Amino acid sequence: MKINHKQMHKPLPASPSQGRSNLISPPVKGELEGVWLMYIRKKFVRLNSALLFLLFSMNYIHAHAEEDALNFSADGALYGYATSTALRSDSLLNPDNQLARLPQHTQTAEARFNFKAENDNLRLTLRPILLWQQNSNEFGEQVKSEGYVSQGQLRWRMAEAWNVAAGREVMNWGPAQFRSPSNPFYFDNGRSNPIRELSGLDSVKVSWTPDTRYSMSLGYIASSGHYEGPTDTWRDTWIFRGTSRGMKWAGGVAVAKKEGQQDFVGVDAQYNKSDELLLYGEAGSSTRPNALQSPADAAQPFSIEAESARHLNELVGATYTLDNGQSLSVEYLHQGHGFTASEEAAYFERAANATLPAGASTLGMALANVPPLLGRNYVHLVWQNNFLEGDYYWRLMWTRSLTDHGNQLTGYAEMTLSKLVSGFVLGVLPLGNERQEFSSMIGRLATAGIKVNLP
Amino acid sequence: MKINAKKFIAGNGIINIFSFACMLLSTAVNATPDAQVLLKQADRARGGGLPGIVWDIRLTSRDGDKIAEPQRLQVRAVDDASVAEVLEPPRSRGSKILQVEHNMWLTRPGLSKPIPISPRQRMSGQASNGDIAATNYAGDYEAKLVSEEKLNGELCYVLELTARHKRTTYDKIRYWISVEREVGVKAEFYSISGKLLKTALFKYDNTIQYGEKRISFVSSMLIKDALIDAETTMKFGTVVVKKIPSSEFDLGQMQ
Repeated sequence: MKINHKQMHKPLPASPSQGRSNLISPPVKGELEGVWLMYIRKKFVRLNSALLFLLFSMNYIHAHAEEDALNFSADGALYGYATSTALRSDSLLNPDNQLARLPQHTQTAEARFNFKAENDNLRLTLRPILLWQQNSNEFGEQVKSEGYVSQGQLRWRMAEAWNVAAGREVMNWGPAQFRSPSNPFYFDNGRSNPIRELSGLDSVKVSWTPDTRYSMSLGYIASSGHYEGPTDTWRDTWIFRGTSRGMKWAGGVAVAKKEGQQDFVGVDAQYNKSDELLLYGEAGSSTRPNALQSPADAAQPFSIEAESARHLNELVGATYTLDNGQSLSVEYLHQGHGFTASEEAAYFERAANATLPAGASTLGMALANVPPLLGRNYVHLVWQNNFLEGDYYWRLMWTRSLTDHGNQLTGYAEMTLSKLVSGFVLGVLPLGNERQEFSSMIGRLATAGIKVNLP
Repeated sequence: MKINAKKFIAGNGIINIFSFACMLLSTAVNATPDAQVLLKQADRARGGGLPGIVWDIRLTSRDGDKIAEPQRLQVRAVDDASVAEVLEPPRSRGSKILQVEHNMWLTRPGLSKPIPISPRQRMSGQASNGDIAATNYAGDYEAKLVSEEKLNGELCYVLELTARHKRTTYDKIRYWISVEREVGVKAEFYSISGKLLKTALFKYDNTIQYGEKRISFVSSMLIKDALIDAETTMKFGTVVVKKIPSSEFDLGQMQ
């Protein structure tokens, strides 16, 4: 049983790398009781930590409340949605769904809350989430329920330009939509699926903001937060982030340092060329731990490199805004860590030769240790309406892998049905065969749901 | 007491000529006030030139027959940056629009990452970010006094404002400033090609404490679209003048 701890969100099984996260499921009864005990203990510890953090924060704020009046606010939304996934029966990576056992039908109910208490010097934010999910496929049914804090932070302004923040924070930045190469934590930034909820990293951060043009922060990541896996990828990582903003541009640099691993260095920038045209780019240089190697010669087996060679991932993009507020974006991503066309072809060839059950370990390796995206070069187009318009929002995306020439179409729409209720739909349609990344596991995916805002 | 004019002129000639010249100069100055000074005074009643302001804004919009759901925002602004947080309606609560110089981003609770907004997107809708942020026309525009005219019975200076740089929301503004109250009462907003985009009318029923003074402050703004049948009313509620730390305008600290 593999747990994907690199993608700290709930992704769609649209590609091998995304599909891996759906391997998360409780162990079969009586099979791995020790794991269950660990699981329950971990949940208990997390819950207590969250409560202690909350109590400490509330106590601290209460103690300082006399100095400056506190403003409290709370809101929330209830989500109910269903997802239907058509799996490929001829998938090479997950033949007859025997390996990944991806859900074909999912019903989800979620309550997402926001609590905030703040005055001039203190700010406490909490975003607890209650989730109930029923997954089913031809092998059976599974119900999951959990409560966790997606984001939560206590921020203290200790001097005019200095802030200290502790808690769980989504450290996401950069203008790119498809992927964020400048970010060590959230390469898949979640923009492709607006239903998705990213969860934060547990961190302590000191920030210096002398004016509105510059800021610098130094943070320590204590753990990967809610989606922390058995080997916590980001535990004990230091992160430096510096940003600057000019009249028509903004940019930043990020350096992540973790013992035993080479440093991550990322940069991002955006430039308003004109009122209509925004140009942007992101790049990151890093190594990958436990990186799957797929030699171009299919006769050679897969291998795992403890730490890959350093590669550069880079993205350049442009957004043009039309007169009616709709925008068109085009992005090109070069992923240095991805496979070349021949390496990717060999990857699928090995999967084709690995028949179950003997080939389970080969397929498991193929699914678990791949780069975030299989290929090396991608083009991503987005057409969307103006998100500042209140009543509806829609977004169409087309992604093409220039490595294997596979395509994927994605559409999302959200519409206000009443003052408190809105409806949303999401559709994903990979176009290609079983030897192309996007269409290697699923044939199509559709999600429909409603969102009820609490008054 | 009678004054002998001849003696007066003869005895105090140089002084009197100097005084007379000053009087003429003073009259001339009074006749054509400095447009930039007028603008600066008018800005203050709309948040410009203050160390920072926090204000609540209620927005109601109509587009033809369609009346949009009312919005309530809290805006924190300094000269070159602002952040507007949506308080109502519930479905948009917590959304924030951050503007620093010419750059803008949208963020909201649960959103995976902040979204950059182009200047053209911020212009859409009746109330653009340039309208909800503090007004710094004196810094952003070159002012020229073109005439005086009465508006609803009130004598006004009419100023033509031309953008000094490209980060302004509008390229040209025609601005009516009350002679007596020294506040802007009407504005016409134009594109660079000279096309009228919007017209705005202002009311000043609020007062704020700034240092030792109490000054009139904007209380409502009615913005009418010149191209379509649409309008927005912005009502400005609680206004607090205070210094706002720069971290409030840092995208990395907006959680």
